[in-house]
Amino acid sequence: MLLRTPTSDDATAWHSPALHRDASCRCGRRGFLRSAVAGSLLFPAMVERLLAESGDQEAAHQPHFPARAKRVIFLFMTGGVSHVDTFDPKPALTRDHGKEIKADHPEIKDRPGYERIFLKRPQWEFAPHGTCGTEVSTLFPHLANCVDELALIRSMHTSHSNHYNATLGMHTGSFAFSRPSIGSWISYGLGSLNRNLPDFVVIAPRQTYAGTQVYASDFLPGSHQGTLVVPGAEPVANVAPRVPGTRQEFELAALRELNDAHAAARESDPLLMARLKSFETAFGMQMAVPDAFDFSRETDATMRGYGLEREQTSGFGWQCLAARRLVERGVRFVELIDTGSSNNWDAHGDMLTHEPLAKNVDQPIAALLLDLKQRSLLDETLVVWTTEFGRTPFNNSADAKGREHHPWAFSSWLAGAGVKRGITFGETDEYGLRAVVEPVHVHDFHATILHLMGFDHERLTYRHAGRDYRLTDVAGHVVRGVLA
Amino acid sequence: MRHIADCPVRLRRGAAFSFCLIAWALGFVCQARADDEAREFFEKQVRPILVARCYACHSGEKASGGLSLETRALWQRGGESGAAIVPGKPDESLLIDAINYRSLEMPPRDKGAKLSEAEIAVLTTWVARGAFDPREEHARIAGMSVEQARHWWSFQSLPPADDRATPAIIDQFIDANLALAGLTADPPADRRTLIRRATYDLTGLPPTAAEVATFVADESPDAYARLIDRLLASPQYGIRWGRHWLDAVRYADTAGENTDRPLPHAWRYRNWVFGAFDRDLPYDEFVHMQLAGDLMRANSSLPQRREGIIATGYLAIARRFGHDIDKDIHLTYEDVIDNVCKVFLGLTGGCARCHDHKYDPITSADYYALYGIFDSTRFSFPGCEPKGQPRDLVPLLTEAEYAVMTAPWKAAVAGREQARQAKIAGDRAKLKRYTDGTCRVIAQAPVGEGQSVPFADPASDALRVVLRKGEVLQLTVFPNANHGADSTLVDWSIEDTTKSTGATAKRWSVTELAADLTRGNPLRTAHEASWCFLDVTDGAALLDEKQDVVSGHAELHAWRLGELPSAFVNSSPQPVDAWTKLPGHSFFVHPGPDRPVGVAWICPYDGEFRIAGSVTDAHPAGLDGVSFELLHCANAEYGAALLEVGTAPREPGLDPGPEPAMPVAFAAVDGTPHDVPMQQRGEPEKPGEVVPRRFLTVFGAQPLPAGAGSGRAELARWITEQPLAARVMVNRIWQGHFGQGLARSLNDFGSRGERPTHPELLGWLSARFVASGYSIKQMHRLIMHSAAYHRSSARAAATVAADPDNRLLARFERRRLSAEEIRDSLLMAAGVLDLQPAEAHPFPPEASWTFTQHNPFSAVYETNKRSAFLMVQRQRRHPFLAQFDGADPNASTPRRETTTVPTQALYFMNDSFFHQQAERFAGRLLNRATTDSRIDAAYSELFQRGPTDLEQQRAEMFVANYPGTPAEAWAGFARTLLASNEFLYVD
Repeated sequence: MLLRTPTSDDATAWHSPALHRDASCRCGRRGFLRSAVAGSLLFPAMVERLLAESGDQEAAHQPHFPARAKRVIFLFMTGGVSHVDTFDPKPALTRDHGKEIKADHPEIKDRPGYERIFLKRPQWEFAPHGTCGTEVSTLFPHLANCVDELALIRSMHTSHSNHYNATLGMHTGSFAFSRPSIGSWISYGLGSLNRNLPDFVVIAPRQTYAGTQVYASDFLPGSHQGTLVVPGAEPVANVAPRVPGTRQEFELAALRELNDAHAAARESDPLLMARLKSFETAFGMQMAVPDAFDFSRETDATMRGYGLEREQTSGFGWQCLAARRLVERGVRFVELIDTGSSNNWDAHGDMLTHEPLAKNVDQPIAALLLDLKQRSLLDETLVVWTTEFGRTPFNNSADAKGREHHPWAFSSWLAGAGVKRGITFGETDEYGLRAVVEPVHVHDFHATILHLMGFDHERLTYRHAGRDYRLTDVAGHVVRGVLA
Repeated sequence: MRHIADCPVRLRRGAAFSFCLIAWALGFVCQARADDEAREFFEKQVRPILVARCYACHSGEKASGGLSLETRALWQRGGESGAAIVPGKPDESLLIDAINYRSLEMPPRDKGAKLSEAEIAVLTTWVARGAFDPREEHARIAGMSVEQARHWWSFQSLPPADDRATPAIIDQFIDANLALAGLTADPPADRRTLIRRATYDLTGLPPTAAEVATFVADESPDAYARLIDRLLASPQYGIRWGRHWLDAVRYADTAGENTDRPLPHAWRYRNWVFGAFDRDLPYDEFVHMQLAGDLMRANSSLPQRREGIIATGYLAIARRFGHDIDKDIHLTYEDVIDNVCKVFLGLTGGCARCHDHKYDPITSADYYALYGIFDSTRFSFPGCEPKGQPRDLVPLLTEAEYAVMTAPWKAAVAGREQARQAKIAGDRAKLKRYTDGTCRVIAQAPVGEGQSVPFADPASDALRVVLRKGEVLQLTVFPNANHGADSTLVDWSIEDTTKSTGATAKRWSVTELAADLTRGNPLRTAHEASWCFLDVTDGAALLDEKQDVVSGHAELHAWRLGELPSAFVNSSPQPVDAWTKLPGHSFFVHPGPDRPVGVAWICPYDGEFRIAGSVTDAHPAGLDGVSFELLHCANAEYGAALLEVGTAPREPGLDPGPEPAMPVAFAAVDGTPHDVPMQQRGEPEKPGEVVPRRFLTVFGAQPLPAGAGSGRAELARWITEQPLAARVMVNRIWQGHFGQGLARSLNDFGSRGERPTHPELLGWLSARFVASGYSIKQMHRLIMHSAAYHRSSARAAATVAADPDNRLLARFERRRLSAEEIRDSLLMAAGVLDLQPAEAHPFPPEASWTFTQHNPFSAVYETNKRSAFLMVQRQRRHPFLAQFDGADPNASTPRRETTTVPTQALYFMNDSFFHQQAERFAGRLLNRATTDSRIDAAYSELFQRGPTDLEQQRAEMFVANYPGTPAEAWAGFARTLLASNEFLYVD
């Protein structure tokens, strides 16, 4: 095998001296890098470091004010978690179990069999935890130990009682139409910290309601769309080289030559330059991405903490540890979707299905918070836990095993960068029916997250189809009460 | 503004503007001042200057510096710098100060520079004489004043059509702007670049090496014209340009509601669009067809009518929302109104759902006037989770036409039936010959209602028979006088009593037939014996219709001839409750009215046999029961004849298959015409005043004529009467060639859109477009023959620096291939691209759909057809199209953005489809003998040029030094070229 270095002056050399000089002049770093890649002179890790550049010329905005958080981990529980069984204790609900109530509720309106509704008691006990004494139910024994880190919002509410619409709303601020996802907005607003990894990563075993729209960039530039990671052997599509490394490097070097010659004859076209650069980044991603998902150097203690076996490549514990490794590497926004559009928290039939779902996420989330804290990452990482809506504190009989969709009230929490620790915020009424004290709408929730990332939600806009669009549509107030 | 909308004034049809009339209707009466001279001076001299030179900034909601010059009241109030005009005192008037470039400089130097001396004199005189201004009312239509709308550039009438429609005129407009900017156009591109550019542009495919060679060598003056004609005549043209249209109308193959269910018939609309471009369907008709083809072609010939219906697929493919899509139908109408306004008129009409448009002259009443038109239309229903499968699909044939269509099938079926009956009659006659005079009765008896009667006394010798091979025992059950069709349980066994047969006697029984009765008739069973099930009305005929499920019971299987007679079994060990209780593992016969049923047993060898059995009326209904007769037919040829008749093909002729389905379209037809109330804040639960169906106020608020239907046909004509419609489409065509429109905001020609760089050119082209009978192909020819289209894309430094966005068109803008072009080009290189149009997608059959929001429809269908035929879903984007900036299936995509992201590079490095096509391409190269010829072929096919000497050398080195086998080396070489910028970009 003969692989010439680009410095050869041999007339038959792969690299023409003229082109090489030209390339070096235009971009010294890239020229050097090309030789590195072509000649395999450097170790992959060094190549990766060389390829990575801080900053991103395509970043549209700077933060409007100093950000409290540099990145976000967004934990989305699919299907609608019951607030009255998890984070919002309602003794009156237990006391008045079976009592008939009236409610002009979207889920029971004109629904046969729901002419009469009755209060239904929670099926799990609540107890105060931590020094702050926040009450959590026995569904989340590990998270209960972390309440001193949480700003728990008990007064969330949303605008729709369908999964599809509410899920879309929680991700895009729009309850009907496709709009950019919150992760795309943050990517657009801030640009990337690591050019070898995408700014916005979504780790989901299956698609949730509303499909790919929940992480789509929509009208924002495509570089801000979420990159889907499916837990498993090849988490990101096309990252695994399909031919052995030596061949790929050989091909990329030849490609580089072709493209350099092509570009040299065409003045400096930024489009062509950008594509040249994209191959360097892609090459870096081939190493950076598997590295991010390679847990072999994690300690046994860490693995145990997340409830993970060695070699395990799925499960929510895997997703949480992957999230920590991604934010460590500068990814701006990591969303973890716990299940998908079926077999999730949508407990119409039986509330007891909450048990395995809670068990699936409880220990990993607690481990993630602890791990971030131990690595001093929690100070600059915002952790968000939410769902699309709550579940009704009533049903059409007191003996009904399940609960219905409930957009009027649910619970979510924030933890980490810029957030008060060990507080609860807002309240629902005595039955958990309505958010009555300091209600927090999804738009307010989004405004608060953007605020923590350094953005005025009314000023983070994008002109599309003649209008300035924003994540919070025409609404939203920053929830000051949760800010540290 | 509702009183405008409802104004009964007769408005000029076809006029772009009716502002005076509107103003009149408003009670805005032009002031008849005594000073006619002052009025005339204002109208003829002053107003044109204000409109042409001042309004661009000083009018509308966001007038610059707060100063609007639209009405007397507004300039009196003035802007941030105070009143602009002091009547009678030019020296104290800020306006006069500014136009003389004293303290302020208006209009600014970058906005067309200072007014001429003559213009300054006019305005000065005007102010000195007291600044007479009749424009006292500040009439508004939503976000624009009437005054501003009246002069809005995109609403203006088109100039007179220019008969000298030469491409040179396009260049005159462009060169004039270049000269103003002091720029020189770049030189023309070479011929190879030009044919590649034109071929991708018109067909979305690369030219072949041979086409390039021919064109480059052709020095005749009309070579280029012939090239364009050839490309426009190619059916691939319609696919490429039809796809541009599908982008605009947000075409998708799924409905977009919570289960995202398939639209199995939407493809007809897709293919109609492709065909319409191919045929150069006049654009006005193209618009009419999509909005109201069903109405406009209602009285035409069948093919025309079908086309009209299919075209309204445009409306039907509107996105559906939510769980129960009827509950969110107001969102679907918003999607329709938004798309109609943007695509045909370049207006953001969807913005007026909740309130009057903030910036453009579209009122909320306008919105609900259009809403009424669509609410009076019945869209095909795609189905949704709570409301089941599709309905209201529109038949493409009348019942009579459908009868004509199915006639051949029916004739084939009838012919088959006739042949079958003839065979049955023949069989009866044939079999009769063997039974006549050869059969003797072994046993016979009536069976009363509900009774069970044995064949004979079991001890009787009558049931002991000696048979030869081929002789037949035949049991016949008669219906008796009432023609009663009774289920008759038969128990019948035959045992070999021949002494020599040894220890285990051979035995046959009808209950053994329960397991697999329908395996055959004749039904061969143990020891070479066979059973036959017969209609014995007049001679025997075999029951030839197999029935695997009887009365909905999968356990019951039958043979029958027509409805009856039949022989059937309960194959299950359990009793079945059907019309009567049928015991487990049982055998029945069922005579028909006047049609006795028979069971025959064909003896397999010579011997002595004992018969046992009984006949039971198993369905007593208070009638006269049945009777039976057991025969021994002693003709040894009878058995063979039964077998022969039974195994001959039962239904001669080809199987005509299932009845052809009525062809249907996913389309729109008129429903019940009605007006709708406005929805306050866009909420359907909060109805306001009812708005009559009509056109937009700004264009005259044309009402529907009495007796109109939905109003779609009228709407379609109102739209194409607007010069705006031609402008918007011409601008789309322009963008298709140059990558950006003359006005870059293709879907927004309102006040938030971008003004055109060459408004006169756009007007001139639009006038040509109308004069040509809205021929899109003529527009292509005109534009593609301009010098501007021929320019090099080499980006001369001077023009790049002076005009980085290439708004003045001094150069041609390089572009990346679209997602579809990339995939098609890869398939073409691989030699597997199938250029024939596709039709329906391989969706699962509707009857099998069980999609829910928890388990929505999701599929990716592979195809080697052109990528415009890929199945596109609304909720889950096609992974490849999404990766390479494909159109948004949920909203109009006026222009494809081009992103360049590393995941695309990863595609060219590691994607399996990409690797497969590269390997196929390499395989084609390997068919050539020498390295040189392979390299040459690779460059010719992919880049439409030969390799340079240096490239030739490098390629040789590549394959020689590649770390792998020669086949792997060529695959690697193919990947390198296919991933290159030269392959991916069009100069």
